[in-house]
Amino acid sequence: MSPKVISRLALGAYLLIFFGYLLGPLVVMSLTAFNSSGFPSVSPWACFTFEWFDVLFKDQRILNGIKNSIIIGIGTVIVSIAIGLSAALVLTQVWPKLRTTYYTIIIAPILIPGVVLGISTIVFWDRVSRLLGPSTDALFHNGIFLTILGQSTFIASYAMLIFVARLARFDPGLTEAALDLGATHTQAFRKILLPFMRPAIASAAVLAFLASFENYNTTTFTFGNYPTLTIELAQKVRYGINPSISSLAFIIVVLTVFGALAFEAYRRNTGNKERAKEGKAAPKSGGILPGFLRGNPAAVVLVLLCFTVITAVGTAQSYSPEQCKMDVRAAKQLEIDLRIEALEEKRRLRELGKTHEGPDIFGTPEVESEDKAPSSSGAFGDVFKDLEQGD
Amino acid sequence: MGAGVTVNLENVWIKFGDFVAVREANVNIKGGDFFSFLGPSGCGKTTILRAVSGFLDPSEGRVLIGGKDMAGIGPNKRPTALIFQNLALFPLMKIWENITFSMEVAGASAGDRRKRADELLDMIALSGQGDKFPSELSGGQKQRVAIARALCAEPDVLLLDEPLSALDLKLRQHMRTELREIQQRVGISFIYITHDQGEALTMSDSVAVMRAGIIDQIAGGHEIYDHPATPFVASFVGENNVFRGKLQSVNGNEAVIRTNRSGDLLAQITPTAVGKMKAGDDAMMFVRPEALALGEASPDSKTTISANVLNEEFEGNSYSVFLEGDGGKQIKMSLPNLGQDRESSKGSSLALHYDASTAVVMPAGELASE
Amino acid sequence: MKKPMIFSEFFKNNGPVMGSILMVLVGFWIIVLIVLPQLSMLDFSFRFNLPPAELGGPKDNYTLKNYKQLVYGAAGSEGTYNTVDLMVFVRTIVTAIFVTIANIIMCYPLAYYLGQSKGTSFARLLVVMLIIPYWINEILRAFALRIIFGETGLINEVLTFLHLTAEPIDFIRQNYALYAGLGYAYILLMLFPMYNVIESLDRNQIEAARDMGASWIRIHRRIVIPHAKPGIASGATMVFMLSAGALAVPQVLGGPSSLWFTQLVYQWFNDSLNWQQGSAYAIVLLFSSIAIVLTLMRIFKVNMGDIGK
Ligand SMILES: Nc1ncnc2c1ncn2[C@@H]1O[C@H](COP(=O)(O)OP(=O)(O)OP(=O)(O)O)[C@@H](O)[C@H]1O
Ligand SMILES: [Mg+2]
Repeated sequence: MSPKVISRLALGAYLLIFFGYLLGPLVVMSLTAFNSSGFPSVSPWACFTFEWFDVLFKDQRILNGIKNSIIIGIGTVIVSIAIGLSAALVLTQVWPKLRTTYYTIIIAPILIPGVVLGISTIVFWDRVSRLLGPSTDALFHNGIFLTILGQSTFIASYAMLIFVARLARFDPGLTEAALDLGATHTQAFRKILLPFMRPAIASAAVLAFLASFENYNTTTFTFGNYPTLTIELAQKVRYGINPSISSLAFIIVVLTVFGALAFEAYRRNTGNKERAKEGKAAPKSGGILPGFLRGNPAAVVLVLLCFTVITAVGTAQSYSPEQCKMDVRAAKQLEIDLRIEALEEKRRLRELGKTHEGPDIFGTPEVESEDKAPSSSGAFGDVFKDLEQGD
Repeated sequence: MGAGVTVNLENVWIKFGDFVAVREANVNIKGGDFFSFLGPSGCGKTTILRAVSGFLDPSEGRVLIGGKDMAGIGPNKRPTALIFQNLALFPLMKIWENITFSMEVAGASAGDRRKRADELLDMIALSGQGDKFPSELSGGQKQRVAIARALCAEPDVLLLDEPLSALDLKLRQHMRTELREIQQRVGISFIYITHDQGEALTMSDSVAVMRAGIIDQIAGGHEIYDHPATPFVASFVGENNVFRGKLQSVNGNEAVIRTNRSGDLLAQITPTAVGKMKAGDDAMMFVRPEALALGEASPDSKTTISANVLNEEFEGNSYSVFLEGDGGKQIKMSLPNLGQDRESSKGSSLALHYDASTAVVMPAGELASE
Repeated sequence: MKKPMIFSEFFKNNGPVMGSILMVLVGFWIIVLIVLPQLSMLDFSFRFNLPPAELGGPKDNYTLKNYKQLVYGAAGSEGTYNTVDLMVFVRTIVTAIFVTIANIIMCYPLAYYLGQSKGTSFARLLVVMLIIPYWINEILRAFALRIIFGETGLINEVLTFLHLTAEPIDFIRQNYALYAGLGYAYILLMLFPMYNVIESLDRNQIEAARDMGASWIRIHRRIVIPHAKPGIASGATMVFMLSAGALAVPQVLGGPSSLWFTQLVYQWFNDSLNWQQGSAYAIVLLFSSIAIVLTLMRIFKVNMGDIGK
């Protein structure tokens, strides 16, 4: 073997391991959504099922969390884009000697731990509400208000970075030309700068929404009475797992794949267009594919994926669960029996005064969770009550 | 269109921090004039224009347009329109939207704007191209769109910042005439910036020659060419042969300068220096290549120069002869090509004669770098 | 004398309306969202945990009690150190540093490979594949690892199947899951900045060096790594700060006996409802991680302006 072949093999192995590490867990997690086994796992594969999706869609807390996440996400997008854009515009004009200081201040929120941001937000607004009197209490202790502000603190920095990159390519002469032709500053901003920034604003909005949607560290201190989806997920993951989380994860993975591909396709598309507009590579019209798809593999993959999902959903609709459900139930019963046996075995061992700790099926992270079990399963009890009502 | 409106700069200084970009500029531009600022790169031309259009305030002095002090009036309120050095067409707008942008911000209806755009497109010979984007036009076409966009604002004063510098030679010459025609048609004042003296001389009613923030001379093209006020103007505008020395004698508006290599030479004192020069002063004398002719060697003549020929170049309509001059500088002489065969005079010594009225002498000073 | 000049110029450049809007938004962000909350948290950390009625009363003084708590433990046990919390703190910082180093080592080859084969469709595909986990919830990524590392998880199943272990290994209790999870959670924040700078490296430089007979190791040491330094620094800063400040991953993947420092903060806030104490712990976390980052930036001669590229 030549050294070239060896290095190719090494590269291949490395890529395989890297992407295995990155994507493997997500694939496994997605698969567990379709296993009827009561604990998310793939290897004792009980039966292929969609039941966890039903569980998910009937879970009021999850649905409520999604609603809160969307409200907070939209609020955060608006606040952080307005702030990020202003900060980027000021950065281009700030007095050169102040520039580094200013940049350090506005980049700092990215580096401040999210936990610290969350804490400082609640502490500060708590103080403000005490200063201004109890009439302001409702607002300044409102979870949505606090979460939007807490998240925007650092998401605005991300937005700012995107805008700075785009602004570097803006010709300030264009704004001057508009002013010279009689536009007010506001008109020049609206008609010249804003259209130029539009792609960056779109990217920043998507990014800000995602960052808000998935934020945990800050939100966990600020959410108050409005738990977001991520908070609910964390609660479930910490205090008890069932594959309905996997089914949610699966949905999120699919949406993300869609989103990533759509974003990539959009970027390539606008990239091509802009390049064409700047007169660099005027694309010849013609060919079978519509313009959007030409020279844009991500878009092609996206369209193919759409077809696949539509087919899959169609199949799922017609998938007859009866026989499977029987199997599932049988399998479940078996499993439960086994589990009870195991538990009894464990209890027996414990009663025998054995110091060795038996295998913990749930792999719960905290020893104390046995004490907490009643309260946390209370949350689950509600879920199941909902389910019973739903059925 | 607004009639010609005057523009006055009164004792204008512009500073960026400690750096003085424009020093004591006093300029009076008549209404309807085609006025040019001519100077090398970085001498402050754009800076003056930006002060007129309102993008920056003079550190000292006043800018008056139509007799009105412009202090505190923003660029969007001034009756000026600027054509930018890089044109600054809006890349995301169609041509017709670009042209009528000033109407759009004033709230005109789309129909009116379309109509006006069509008129202006006709004027710049781009009819039917209004729906293109700027990136789809050639350099010269973009140039004309920028002019139409500025004219659409119906300014009283049109400011042009080296608008032709990006074009190739042919197009540049064509656009020169076109610009002059447009100016005469609309009758408003044009303030034109260039570092190309040919442009300045052919188009302008008046030219201001600038050097590193200082305006050296303001005059008509002929005046600038024939009677440069400073050594900088003499050497920057057109080609010139320089002779350094001390004044030997002054007689009214004529003076004799004693040079190292070429002996005593007679020349006219430039009008602005008449009465200010006396014998013994450091001085410079300038003679244009085309003012030199072959003559008889005569050591007593004060209008004859003897020198060795170093090189000769054929330039089509003329021959350029380079002779050994003062202090390492070459003397250039231009001989018309009249069709006869010429023998190369390389290596021989020639006597060059000139008419004293075509030579100017002035106090010594800084020359334009080549 | 100089300040007003800047402001007037700013308003001249932006107009009164836009100028005010920009000023207000940026001012709101810097003052109300960034500076004042941090200051009030700092202030809070020096106060007693009093019932609301006594706030502002005579007992509402400044105190070092909350910081002493971290070092010496609860009041009364003066003299002995609070080894539990201090150990948590040290472990958090040390682990975060190791996670950062591991991420640099893991990402460098890929960043180099992607940066050098930019534009090929395979590289583009890899980048899209990288974006996907980047956009997925941190909790879910931790959850995915939990499924794999659980006692009945995939890895244990495989190991048992292959008869490599008789008993399932408790990855969670052993903290392997936590390390894997932290390494996993922020790896792309290391990769992307590195990739961006390496992408901007002119290939000719590498070829020129190879032409002159430099070995691969030397090429990387002398050309690629110095060029990639801002990206590596940016990525390392992000990964370190995020790992040290991580909460979700330790909560989901941490073993019962190994708390993360943020979990202590969380407990003070949400379980003990002692915000002042929690603030003090948060301040310690913030200042020590900033100090570490600044020290490392000084050692490796990196500028603040490189961060966030
Ligand atoms: N905003 C500014 N800050 C500091 N110095 C400046 C600024 N604008 C211009 N200058 C300086 O002022 C001088 C004149 O610049 P200006 O743009 O007016 O030159 P110009 O004559 O238009 O040159 P060109 O022919 O190259 O366009 C230059 O030395 C330039 O560096
Ligand atoms: Mg200029």
